[in-house]
Amino acid sequence: MIKRVPRVLLLLITGYLCVAQVSSDFLPPEVRRVGMKLACLCGACNNSVGDCPMIGCHYSNPARERIAEMQKASTSDDAIVGAFVKERGVQALIVPPNTGFNRLVWWMPVVAILLGLIAIYAWVTRMRKPAADAPAIDPAVLEKYRDSIDRDLAKLE
Amino acid sequence: MENLGALSLILAFCFSIYAVFGSVVGKWKARPFLVKSAERAVLAQWGLQTIAAALLVYALLTCDFRLAYVASHVNTAMPTIYKFTAWWGGQEGSLLLWSWILGSYSAVVVWQNRKKFRDMMPWVTATLMVTQAFFLMLIVVPLSPFEVLAVGKEIRAVPDGNGLNPLLQYWSMAIHPPMLYLGYVGFIVPFAFAMGSLITKQPGDGWIQTTRRWTLVTWLFQSCGVLLGAGWAYAVLGWGGYWGWDPVENASLLPWITATAFLHSVMMQEKKGMMKVWNMVLVSSTFFLCIFGTFLTRSGVVSSVHAFAQSPIGPYFATFLSIHIAATAWLILDRLGYLKSEAQLESVLSRESSFLFNNLILLASCFSILWGTMFPVISEAVTGEKISVDAPFFNRVNVPIGLFLLLLTGVGPLIAWRRSSLESLKKAFLWPSIGGFAISAALFALGIRHFYALMAFGLCAFVLLTVAMEFFKGSRAISAKTGQNLLSAMVELTHRNTRRYGGYIVHVAIVMMFIGFTGAAFNKERTIELKTGDEFDLGRYHMRVAEIKQGENPNYDWGHAVVEINQGGQLIGTLAPEQRFYKAGQGQQASVVAIRRRLHEDLYLNFAGMQNGKVIIQAYVFPLVGWIWVGFAGLIFGTLICLVPSKVKYEFAKTKVMGVAQGAAKPKAVSGD
Repeated sequence: MIKRVPRVLLLLITGYLCVAQVSSDFLPPEVRRVGMKLACLCGACNNSVGDCPMIGCHYSNPARERIAEMQKASTSDDAIVGAFVKERGVQALIVPPNTGFNRLVWWMPVVAILLGLIAIYAWVTRMRKPAADAPAIDPAVLEKYRDSIDRDLAKLE
Repeated sequence: MENLGALSLILAFCFSIYAVFGSVVGKWKARPFLVKSAERAVLAQWGLQTIAAALLVYALLTCDFRLAYVASHVNTAMPTIYKFTAWWGGQEGSLLLWSWILGSYSAVVVWQNRKKFRDMMPWVTATLMVTQAFFLMLIVVPLSPFEVLAVGKEIRAVPDGNGLNPLLQYWSMAIHPPMLYLGYVGFIVPFAFAMGSLITKQPGDGWIQTTRRWTLVTWLFQSCGVLLGAGWAYAVLGWGGYWGWDPVENASLLPWITATAFLHSVMMQEKKGMMKVWNMVLVSSTFFLCIFGTFLTRSGVVSSVHAFAQSPIGPYFATFLSIHIAATAWLILDRLGYLKSEAQLESVLSRESSFLFNNLILLASCFSILWGTMFPVISEAVTGEKISVDAPFFNRVNVPIGLFLLLLTGVGPLIAWRRSSLESLKKAFLWPSIGGFAISAALFALGIRHFYALMAFGLCAFVLLTVAMEFFKGSRAISAKTGQNLLSAMVELTHRNTRRYGGYIVHVAIVMMFIGFTGAAFNKERTIELKTGDEFDLGRYHMRVAEIKQGENPNYDWGHAVVEINQGGQLIGTLAPEQRFYKAGQGQQASVVAIRRRLHEDLYLNFAGMQNGKVIIQAYVFPLVGWIWVGFAGLIFGTLICLVPSKVKYEFAKTKVMGVAQGAAKPKAVSGD
């Protein structure tokens, strides 16, 4: 009986704290942390389980409860995520894993930029080529144009 | 009435087919009367579509529940304005709106150019009417808006309709879809002129000059459509997100990006006669992406919040798009000889190069968004496994691209056309760079450690300084010459070259939007269960639930909470978020969020639900988000300035390398449009 006292006291204190608590946060941070790695598959949003804003979401809510339960059982974050992937496939992840064919989702934008840079380089090289073959210009003509430029610049200033 | 509507659409379809053949055969066989009659057919199809549209709107306003479309999208309790907007609330009606806008644009094009471009116009008309015939076919055959409800052979009206989705009963949603459609459809006109110019082998500047203004107006509509959608999502969906990288949102952004690239690269063609092939590719891509966006929304190929119900029209779109892409690619390749550049690139350090990089980055962004949107479909086809590509992918890829684009927004105006010397660049970049670094350093010193945020704020300062310097230098020169004060000189400067300075205003608007986007790095949120009298904190705000009320009216049941907002011990106001459950239809739910809008941050409360006698409040603090909407206003203003004719008519002499000055120093280049 005496041994039970601290437990009862703890229960009472916890109960009091619950009653005294004026408000309660809806999503514990540790659940959110894991939830942010998982896609909400409700079909009505593109959010993660961690930040799906729909209070009554038919996918995120049970998923959060499951995460919380697994965390209570001291399951690691990776194992929780793994359990979701095992059940729903890789679509359970908010972004595809960087493996196999799915690597392409990450690499193609980089490849596209590189190809664009190569194309620009090729274009610039080609567009600058003819100037080298141009004939020498008469210095008198050049001087005339320079004078004209100087006059225009003087007007601007 | 429904028969008249359906008949009008069938006749409009016939007229558009006639317009295609009349134009092509008339031009081919040199029969001007056929070409003229084809142009009249364009006007006729517009008139007929107007009749059909008016009949549908009348049916919606008068709640004619014999029509299946009306019964599905309207109910008697809806306000009149939303009965009207139900025109584009469903698949069939929105396709009619699409088609009617295209009909209207086509009629305007034909009327405007009745005495111009006589060589090109038959092909322009044919291109427009091929697209028109395609859309009319959709609303004539598989998706007629005039389908009636019947039991056996007897037409029957239902007592009341389902009503419009309550989420769509919001002012910006009333204008967001038409704006987007005005944008989507409008991009067909530059494409039609581009095709006309290619077919008639006149790939000079004629089509560019004709369609530049058109492209700009269309781009403005598209921008408004995208941003109104963002504003709607922010104010209605209850989680404060203005962009969710949803496939349909992405689809609206893709043509906007390629059109933005086109509006920049087109200057190269106008001023230097360069990049003709590229401009053809861009204007065609913009058109294809518009059709692709419409296909994504309506085919069900990707799952999206925005998508209309799945319908059988996906294959029609795929066929139409494939044929168009193949024909355009063939035409461009066949006419490459006519699309040769008229000038050479004189230096890598030039405005021309900065436009190239601008285009590269815009296209990279466009590709990454398209790739991310379609990758789940591609991956499933290849591996057989479904995957999710959600917001983190798009953010991770597009944030660096966006920042680089922001940098180019500031760099471009400082580099001269033709060539810039390193010395002149150093001089031009000195103060903006110092300003940018100073802002980043100051924010770092104030405790901000978010790398991208520091970069973004620094770049925003850099761009603002470059634009301010451009305005200041020009106005000071005018002020010195005319004696006007600096402000009047600035107005005069802008009026002299509206395209250039209007463009700078748009750049400033983009910077403001980036400031707003960057604020998202510092968002705070809390979802909390509360009863009357409960208090909670978020950021600098201390809040107390003063009252929770529930009730009903003929249209919906509602619950709302009155929340007192305190800051520093002072009551600074109250917010009353509300939740509604509409009685009509399937009892759909909608939130009326309460937002305390300020430029430095928004406080955003959403009544998310009731549980065990307590209210669930989602509270958010969104720093700087208001700058997005300020940027939106700036973008409209800047674009309108661009559309005002310049006071000074600029002529852009095409430069050509005539010879090389042996051993001579290179002439100094000057900046300017």
